[in-house]
Amino acid sequence: MDKNIKILVVDDFSTMRRIIKNLLRDLGFNNTAEADDGLTALPMLQAGGFDLLITDWNMPGMQGIDLLKKVRADAKLSQMPVLMVTAEQKKEQIIEAAQAGVNGYIVKPFTAQTLKEKLDKIFERMQASS
Amino acid sequence: MAKDKNAVLNEEFVQRVRELSQHVEGGNTEEADRILDQIAKLRESSLFQELGKLTREFHEALNSFRLDARLASFAEKEFPDARERLRHVVNMTAKSADRSLTAAEESMPICDGIESEAAELKQLWGRFARREMSAGEFRQLSGRLGNFFDSLAGDATTLRGNLNEVMMAQDFQDLTGQIIERVITLVDDMEGNLVDLIRISGQNLRQSGEAPSHEELLKGAGPVVPGVDDAAANIVSGQDEVDDLLSSLGF
Repeated sequence: MDKNIKILVVDDFSTMRRIIKNLLRDLGFNNTAEADDGLTALPMLQAGGFDLLITDWNMPGMQGIDLLKKVRADAKLSQMPVLMVTAEQKKEQIIEAAQAGVNGYIVKPFTAQTLKEKLDKIFERMQASS
Repeated sequence: MAKDKNAVLNEEFVQRVRELSQHVEGGNTEEADRILDQIAKLRESSLFQELGKLTREFHEALNSFRLDARLASFAEKEFPDARERLRHVVNMTAKSADRSLTAAEESMPICDGIESEAAELKQLWGRFARREMSAGEFRQLSGRLGNFFDSLAGDATTLRGNLNEVMMAQDFQDLTGQIIERVITLVDDMEGNLVDLIRISGQNLRQSGEAPSHEELLKGAGPVVPGVDDAAANIVSGQDEVDDLLSSLGF
């Protein structure tokens, strides 16, 4: 697994961004950037260079589910793996995210182990398809 | 009902007046006086009834007026006040999380340093134990061990300080707890007043039970609160259920 991949972490709470970045660093991923909602994240993604998107759902501006849909609709970004890390736990929402093409769904509060498992799964699929 | 009562009263009046005229005509003044007294009492009792009704209405009007004043104070003062208090809670918890995170972030490289130096020293110590080390190399190892012990003591002090910082950063809980309790009291108060208002304005509480629309369901709502949101079912209780649901969808 390439530890130098560039990861964008999107959450409106800086604390959660810090926690996710620290967990990623612990797993060996040091190449990360942050955005505080979909509206700021989308142009960053479109500017290019990112290999993975980790996003919250409930954010002001643009919500995570809408960011996911925009990413899937963008020809350049459509193949990017997206991991959702959110407190949203309605079945309808999880199904919606799955239908929108999410690659992993983690409910908060979560553990470092869960994050690692879901990332491993995403990377396995990336390697299998490439 | 009131009409019936008035009819009965009127009948009584007519009866009494008839008796009165009979007694006056008959020169029975004593009896006439007694009947006059009765008539006066009858008048008084109906007057008191009306007065009682008026008083009650007045009382209700006054009560609802007091309620209005209470509601106005909610809108003008207590709600903005509660908003500021809750904002303060958000700030305090954010500050505490930042303090804890900073302490943890400072500690991790120290642990990394101890871990890697200990691993290297262990390997060198193994070479020494197997007598694979020259005297010069051992002198070097000995110096390095001395430095490691020195740094361990310093690192332990720093780590304890950082752990202490994490602990002290939890002091918000007591304060935010008190503030939130106060806001809960305000919400309780407001609820009581609104229920009274609805009662006075004579409308029944609308039955809640309409299913939320698909769009409402998809709107991010933040964490599920036990005993509130989970009553609506259709909520997963944790990561395992999320994984089950996704795997049932072919993930």
